[in-house]
Amino acid sequence: MADVVLENICKTYGNNFHAIDQLNLSVEDGEFLILVGPSGCGKSTALRMIAGLEDVTSGSLRIGGVDVVDMPPKDRDIAMVFQSYALYPHMTVFENIGFSMRLAGKPKAERKKRVDEIAKTLQLTSLLDSKPANLSGGQRQRVAMGRAMVREPAAFLMDEPLSNLDAKLRVQMRAEITRLQKQLGVTTIYVTHDQTEAMTMGDRVAVLKGGVLQQVDTPKRLYESPVNAFVAGFIGSPSMNLFEATMTGGELMSGAFAIRLQDAAFVRRPGLKSYAGRKVVFGIRPEDLYDSSLESGRKYQTIPAKVTSIEELGSEHIVHLNIDAVRVDSGDPDAVQDFGLTSNAVARFEPDSTVRSGSEIRLALDDTKLHFFDPETHLAI
Amino acid sequence: MTRQKRSHHKLKRAVAPYLYLSPSLLIIGLLMLLPMVTVIAYSFQNSAVLRRDPSFAGLKHYQAIFDDPVFWASLWHTLYFTCMSVIFHMTIGMIFALMLNSDRINPTLRNILRVLYILPWLFTAVIIAVIWRLLLEPNGVVNSILMQLGIIGSKVEWFSSPETALHAVTFANIWAGYPLFMVSLLAGLQGIPKDFYEAADIDGAKAYQKLIFITIPQLMPIIISISLLDFIWTMQVFPLIWITTGGGPIYSTEVLSTYTYKLAFSSYNLSQASASAVVILLISLGLTLFYIRYQKAR
Repeated sequence: MADVVLENICKTYGNNFHAIDQLNLSVEDGEFLILVGPSGCGKSTALRMIAGLEDVTSGSLRIGGVDVVDMPPKDRDIAMVFQSYALYPHMTVFENIGFSMRLAGKPKAERKKRVDEIAKTLQLTSLLDSKPANLSGGQRQRVAMGRAMVREPAAFLMDEPLSNLDAKLRVQMRAEITRLQKQLGVTTIYVTHDQTEAMTMGDRVAVLKGGVLQQVDTPKRLYESPVNAFVAGFIGSPSMNLFEATMTGGELMSGAFAIRLQDAAFVRRPGLKSYAGRKVVFGIRPEDLYDSSLESGRKYQTIPAKVTSIEELGSEHIVHLNIDAVRVDSGDPDAVQDFGLTSNAVARFEPDSTVRSGSEIRLALDDTKLHFFDPETHLAI
Repeated sequence: MTRQKRSHHKLKRAVAPYLYLSPSLLIIGLLMLLPMVTVIAYSFQNSAVLRRDPSFAGLKHYQAIFDDPVFWASLWHTLYFTCMSVIFHMTIGMIFALMLNSDRINPTLRNILRVLYILPWLFTAVIIAVIWRLLLEPNGVVNSILMQLGIIGSKVEWFSSPETALHAVTFANIWAGYPLFMVSLLAGLQGIPKDFYEAADIDGAKAYQKLIFITIPQLMPIIISISLLDFIWTMQVFPLIWITTGGGPIYSTEVLSTYTYKLAFSSYNLSQASASAVVILLISLGLTLFYIRYQKAR
């Protein structure tokens, strides 16, 4: 077991494309770190550089205190779980799990003992003689985990290991991987584009965009205090609503409505005062918006909104709304799909909400949960 | 009425597929089955084709063939020619395919090599035979290079000496036939997921271990299919041998196809030639059945 430290890591491709720019990241011994970001943000490249499958253009990379930049993958004492699992179809589960030991020339008895042990942990004992083609998605995933575990590496690297599973199985495997990681206590770096996986699995989450690290923090802190509009929009589902407004006399003014800000908001963010008379970006999460006709929305301020469509999920209603304000793009390409063409806001209402598509409603909002960003830099205020 | 209509429809549905198949069945029947059956019949007749009312000969012609030492020599030569050809086609094809698939070779060079390596495939058997006759002439390029390098002391008569002739025709056939393996294996190599090699890299596999544990098992279905086909085709090679050596000198390159041809068109012993053809047919049939069973098992 070991820590993994990346210092000023850069990756530039031949056409001068900067896949990773000055990445600094320190993963502690035994920590479960998630690398998350939209497609093409460089998260997989970063992981492949740690694995040694991709050259590092500049910077230093240490695993367990040893500089590994010029080391081949096999000497880095890491194990990797691939998105495709990369199980060898012509080998049985036993042979797949025991492959690295066979390469290392370990005697058969020792191999059998170790593979049996791992199969037991992963509940694969009855499948040891099967070929991967005869396994379900979840079983294949577990074999891929087993192949990584057999080597007792200093660090696990996982590249979107759950993306090939259906939604239900993904939830189950999410819990299983988290449990295994805690049980084994091996430093783990896990790449995903799914922010739900990021929030539920990791001790800390590193958010990347365009090859640049945005924020590394615990899931709770990422959710509560995003450092910029991108992180705010990326973390949370549906995405945070971001709008432009003008700050006038302690109120946010936008089109037909105004939101009065409490003194506490200025006490918590001293910088906010300097935006008086200027434009500011404010954000509010869908779960902090309420149907004012319900009990829960009573004590909050309300603004007018038009309902454009409703997704009834049983436990909650995802309500798409149109409010009189200019929506701000967080820079997350995946967020666009949360908003339709006709709506500019999303709210999560309780299932007993009776709002109808097309109706004009009063939208209640919890103003203590507002987030503020600079309109130019998109940095949090 | 409706019932009648329904049964009519049923009949149409049952007959339709056979109607579609009938033209090809007819052609196969006329051009393949009929000659085959005729040849089998000839092999049991005395003076087949030559006489209007040939008498039944039983297994006489088969007996004659099996008593002929030239037949057994031909069979042995055919096996040697075929086995060596298939083994080297596969080995050379594999080496070239691995080379062409490597990232380490410059892409432009790789494209040029790809065209060069495939060239032998573009020539017909006659041209290949002529090329190698010229190259392997006593005063040809090969002898002159080998003598310059000091590998041979005097001019070797590759195609005219009984010691070297069989090796020389086999060599020419190897040269002509490896591209099929190369192209098939290259396609197979390109289909192997990169992840397999990356996972193996992380697990500490050396280059030869990746070849043994990943590449070859992944290519196995192609290797077996193409080898069986190559075996069937090579066994029946005629023009290359006929044009280079004609089966000589002193039967040293006689294979089953040239042996049969000579029986039929030099000795005009068409009955015995038919018997020999049937023997070739049986061997090919055995291999083909093996191939079909393998394909079914997959």
